[in-house]
Amino acid sequence: MVESELLIKNGVVYDPINGVKGEKKDICIRDGKVVSEVRNPKVIDAGGRVVMPGGVDIHSHIAGGKVNSGRLFRPEDGRRGLEARTNVCRAQSGYSVPNTFATGYRYAKMGYTFVMEAAMPPIAARHTHEEIVDIPILDNAALPLIDNNWMTMDYVKSGDIDLLAAYVAWIIKATKGYGVKIVNPGGTEAWAWAKNCDLNDAVPYFDVTPAEIIKCLGEANEKFEMPHSIHVHTNMLGHPGNFEITKATYDLVKGLKPSKDRQVIHTTHTQFHSYGGTNWGDFVSKADAIADYINKNDHATIDIGSVILGDTTTMTADGPMEYSLHQITGRKWTNHDVELETGSGITPFLYSGKVSVHTIQWAIGQELALLVKDPWKIALTTDHPNAGPFIGYPILISMLMSKKRREESAADMHAAIYKRAVLPSIDREYDLNEIAIITRGMTAKALGLHEHGKGHLGVGADGDVAIYDMSPEERDAGKIQKAFLNTKYTIKSGEIVVKDGEIVATPDGKTYFVTPECDDTLTEEMLTKLKDKFEHYYSVTFNNYPVQDAYVPNPYEIKAPMRAN
Amino acid sequence: MQTIKLKVKEEVTSGDARIPVEVDSLTPDKLAGKTEAEIKAVKVWWGNREENTGDLFDVSVEGDAGSAEEVKILLEGDLSRVKHIGEGMKAGEIEAIGDVDMHCGAMMTGGKITVRGNADCWAGREMRGGELIIEGDAGANLCSMYRGETTGMTGGRVTVGGNADECAGQYMAGGEIVIRGNAEMLAGLNMHGGKITIEGDAVMPGADMTSGEITVKGKVLDMMPSFKYDGTESIEGEEYKKYIGDLAMTAKKAKGVLYVK
Repeated sequence: MVESELLIKNGVVYDPINGVKGEKKDICIRDGKVVSEVRNPKVIDAGGRVVMPGGVDIHSHIAGGKVNSGRLFRPEDGRRGLEARTNVCRAQSGYSVPNTFATGYRYAKMGYTFVMEAAMPPIAARHTHEEIVDIPILDNAALPLIDNNWMTMDYVKSGDIDLLAAYVAWIIKATKGYGVKIVNPGGTEAWAWAKNCDLNDAVPYFDVTPAEIIKCLGEANEKFEMPHSIHVHTNMLGHPGNFEITKATYDLVKGLKPSKDRQVIHTTHTQFHSYGGTNWGDFVSKADAIADYINKNDHATIDIGSVILGDTTTMTADGPMEYSLHQITGRKWTNHDVELETGSGITPFLYSGKVSVHTIQWAIGQELALLVKDPWKIALTTDHPNAGPFIGYPILISMLMSKKRREESAADMHAAIYKRAVLPSIDREYDLNEIAIITRGMTAKALGLHEHGKGHLGVGADGDVAIYDMSPEERDAGKIQKAFLNTKYTIKSGEIVVKDGEIVATPDGKTYFVTPECDDTLTEEMLTKLKDKFEHYYSVTFNNYPVQDAYVPNPYEIKAPMRAN
Repeated sequence: MQTIKLKVKEEVTSGDARIPVEVDSLTPDKLAGKTEAEIKAVKVWWGNREENTGDLFDVSVEGDAGSAEEVKILLEGDLSRVKHIGEGMKAGEIEAIGDVDMHCGAMMTGGKITVRGNADCWAGREMRGGELIIEGDAGANLCSMYRGETTGMTGGRVTVGGNADECAGQYMAGGEIVIRGNAEMLAGLNMHGGKITIEGDAVMPGADMTSGEITVKGKVLDMMPSFKYDGTESIEGEEYKKYIGDLAMTAKKAKGVLYVK
């Protein structure tokens, strides 16, 4: 039942955006928003439990063509998460590739209320939005893939940043997308030629380099007051020695001035990009080098993409990487080319604590979180489902909060962790305030969503609250993990959606999308070229391409004005 | 010793739709110690509805049992739409008089099932132990894995009196299958353990196998070209040609053995 007024009493509140670090504090909600006082509320007694704003996931693959392909080609994963329909919930399936319903329920049970779908092939935007509509409870947004796109590479080659910006604006609007996603820039296009690209390799035919693509898209993004920076999956994911590429990628946009008070680059699942060595035999963690860079520079943020041990389904627009992985494991693989835009691949993967490489990978994600000093630069992710399913977040939280738990885990794993990773030597333990930062405060800020009521509990914010069934003094890692898996309460826009770890209501979430407002003259000029591309190469016509309003039934529009030069 | 007779009521399968009944809740280990009234109240799925066993079956109980080992379930009536017979059973005995629907004996770990008729697809799927006897024919995917999994049967013994359809023993990792008749295409596909004996003919047996043993006493049609002849061997006094494969899985992995008469 939707209450018009809610009062959450006796909670110990962690609201890092507003500087609240574990204070006993009441939270008042009226008509779905946080207010300073209420008159006749329904009262929830938090009883000294931990209270945080609803979680905000900055990077997860939950909807769209490849997620759905993953479900279709892994019936064996589907059977691992079967839950029958209830009076409130629809039938659930899946572990690493849960169905849409399970995705909404399981995130909500962990206290999350916003999830960013991190890779939307532009031409498949309709499919992505259709699935998003089927995900209950969660507010959401999706990042269109713009980097392996022929239009983008044409403009990068000609150096027309203004026209590139016009194209970026158009495609974000056309897909009802949120920002600029870059995945193995140039490499996915090269994959159509059975190749891959290092940062300074020329992309076949287009003769531009990944470095140029990243730089130009970074500049184009900052032409508008975009809430988010470019969101980059850097080149050579999962290759030993790639940490140098990752660092060089940050350097590309170091001098770029952000259009808003935020980073100019966010690199995602950075665990996969912090690898040293020259092959899998001498593979080592270089998390310390990446963390050191992030510590010394303020223009970049990262999410960790930490490994959860066990079986999962890897899926990415990074087609060549999926092929390499399939070559290593021999497990089934599927591959897809998305017209002029991007591609993708999917293959299952088992992360085993008995395998040296996996053990080091497992360590790297946590090392990044522990070695980056300022938690406002780092976000908790598993790159769901690539390094593991999102349902593993509570495990990671308990690891970050307990050195003892990390030591116990390491003792059961391959001894390589003591020689080729740095995790065992790190003493740092996260406190709840820092956990709140990396799971909601930082993520909301890096996405620019804090200005739109997400990730905090200040007056005017969305009434999204997670009440975890633990006291702030709890130190037992097992109990922490349990508390973060199933909330005592999750409240979404003032409505109780989870009570005592069970879903009790399934309202629809909102879809956030950005409208970059580009100059008309530039847009007209760009459209001449774009219409020509549609005429000659696309399988759909220009007029049929943009996603209609009907596909986004609960819209939340963020306008991004163009900046004066 | 206790005998539980369950006879499918005529009206259950007589309609045009022939809605299936799923009986994985009716195994000796799950019914042991229950009274007739309690058995009638056990839930079974009939299409998308959960019903009482007593509403779909005529139930009668004779004798007493101290444990599941002493329980025998006798299934009668039209069983052609009764699925998941003995699925997951651990002990005791089930005898099904007539043709049974899919998933008979799937995931069983112990006990014995006898089907006095044909069994539809997926009989003995992911079987871990126990014995399954199908007096008639078996459908496709006998003793195989669930879709997408890479481990089929790992233990137990299955005998098929008649023929087996495609992909018998797919991804089989252990246990034994004896097919008295013919095996359709791809028996032992992706097999990596266990033993299949086909007394009749087989089509393309052993494709992608990496371990385990297949013996074909009849003819092999469309022999996989990726098997290597490895001399002859005498089995029970008869001479067989021995082949090693499947080399399509690389020479290093090809440790499967195929005997052909």
